[in-house]
Amino acid sequence: MTIRRLFLGAAAMLIAGPALAQAPAPAPVPGWAIGRPEGSTLAPHAPRLTVTPLDQVPVSAIRLPPGFQAEVYAHGIPGVRAIAEGPNGTLFAGTRGIGRVYAITRNADGTTRTRIFAQGLTQPSGLVMIGNSLYIFAVNRVLRYDNVEANLDSPPAPVDLTAAYGLPTEQEHGANHHWKFVTLGPDGRVYTNVGVNCNVCDFDRDKFALLVSFRPDGSDRRIEARGVRNSVGMAHHPVTGELWATNHGRDWVGDNNPEDSLLRVRRAGEDFGFPFCLGNWADPEYNRGRACSEFSQPAALLGPHTAVLGMRFYTGTMFPAQYRNQIFIARRGSWNRSRLSGYDVVVAKLDAQGNVTGVEEFLTGLRDDANQRFLDRPVEVHVLRDGSMLVSGEQMGAIYRITYRQ
Amino acid sequence: MILRRFLAAAFLAAATCGAAVAQDARRGAELAAPCMQCHGANGRSQMETIPSLAGQPADFITIQMILLREGLRQAPAMAPFAANLPDRDIEDLAAFFAALPPGPPDERRPRDPALITAAEALVGPRHCATCHVADYGGRNQIPRIAAQREEYLAAAMTQYRDGTRAGPDTQMNGAVVGLSDADIAALAHFLAQK
Repeated sequence: MTIRRLFLGAAAMLIAGPALAQAPAPAPVPGWAIGRPEGSTLAPHAPRLTVTPLDQVPVSAIRLPPGFQAEVYAHGIPGVRAIAEGPNGTLFAGTRGIGRVYAITRNADGTTRTRIFAQGLTQPSGLVMIGNSLYIFAVNRVLRYDNVEANLDSPPAPVDLTAAYGLPTEQEHGANHHWKFVTLGPDGRVYTNVGVNCNVCDFDRDKFALLVSFRPDGSDRRIEARGVRNSVGMAHHPVTGELWATNHGRDWVGDNNPEDSLLRVRRAGEDFGFPFCLGNWADPEYNRGRACSEFSQPAALLGPHTAVLGMRFYTGTMFPAQYRNQIFIARRGSWNRSRLSGYDVVVAKLDAQGNVTGVEEFLTGLRDDANQRFLDRPVEVHVLRDGSMLVSGEQMGAIYRITYRQ
Repeated sequence: MILRRFLAAAFLAAATCGAAVAQDARRGAELAAPCMQCHGANGRSQMETIPSLAGQPADFITIQMILLREGLRQAPAMAPFAANLPDRDIEDLAAFFAALPPGPPDERRPRDPALITAAEALVGPRHCATCHVADYGGRNQIPRIAAQREEYLAAAMTQYRDGTRAGPDTQMNGAVVGLSDADIAALAHFLAQK
């Protein structure tokens, strides 16, 4: 019944949606295409929204440093992205195109069981657990399910927090970068992204291209960072509590510019420069005469168009000590580039002061350079309590588990 | 033997476009009888508002059927057919329709030069061919729009513009933002005449 209500709610929202045509001041070309060179046929890759049989999940192609192994933790989960873990160990998984939130539990024999927990939502990609409550951030909707792990089969109606959060709507975004990543800060606040409402454009810098935080009830919005084009991964440093985030660079400035980036937010409200600059790179069309030195610099550059997404600090003890408090980052992989880049997981190595000293490959093998194909697209990393690490593969609907053995 | 060659070609196509499963077009043909009541015996629709499926990319058909099944795309006539349809049936149907030769409906209204001229001024700035490719034949998740039914194209673009339809992403919503009804009518005519 809840699913039906959700379904009807989503349908009503679609019907009530007052028309993208009424979005303010339509650009002369579509927002996503601004800056696109004539003749390019680059376009986003097709997602896969059907179940991939286990024997076609490309776990055997995965390459890891010595001592690490990859296995399939769960599969048959089309579109799996964000992972949030409940106090009793239930994994909730968000999606975009297929509109579902899954609940994954572990059976006594070590196998997993996947339920469709919610469906019919528009891009429910943002999930966060606070206590026993699951918060789902879909486009234009924020829903809270209380005591969620006790009600996996028949969840009660959620509390609708959409109005309380008051995030920009799909219409205000012009359908650009309106899906969410969400994480819980050590201060008990909810951190999320408000992506820019175009590929690149002049926009309200107090409204878009932000990292923001709220109290869990949606009150007390605070701008944590400005000039962040779109972040789909954030985490707080386990020791310092500083907010770190991944950030997508704009499209259509060639194969090698700008780079995706890793941001370290040292103080609330600092400005990372979009659309004017990224690091010391000045946008060729939107710099507006600004000096890049006036903006905060990224902690690391993560490659052009690599689509950096989920990031987590490794806080477990299973992996060698050198990985502790280092950042694992999923790179979903490029589309706006003539040759593929990303499709892997990298580690940003931090020194004691929190400076990034290098970025190393960790999980590779999913990008086939010779044939310009990819086998899966890593989106989220999640550290389990036993110290193993999960990586969600959106394209093949699988969750991989990475373990270490001496 | 023809069938075997056909299936081999279908497998090759699936393997090269990143879909990991060899869909079974022959099984799809057996499942397709109810579809053809409206979408046409050869996959070319002769019915108003019903799109042609012949020659559509398999990924496009698969993804749209999933969106219909999940209630994310609203098309009331399709709801009973899509409800609870297993993934495998969807993939096999998609393989079958993708392999049918595309073409316009039997009755297509005469070419209107004024509409063609109006559309030609739009397709460049709107970058239609970026995704739908130069002959508008589509690829992967992006549909064939060449020779599609004109009134269907107009209805689909209107839905994307008005936010009542979205694909697996919102590229099309962004692509048609701000188009007038007259713009859409011109584009629909231009593409239907391809």
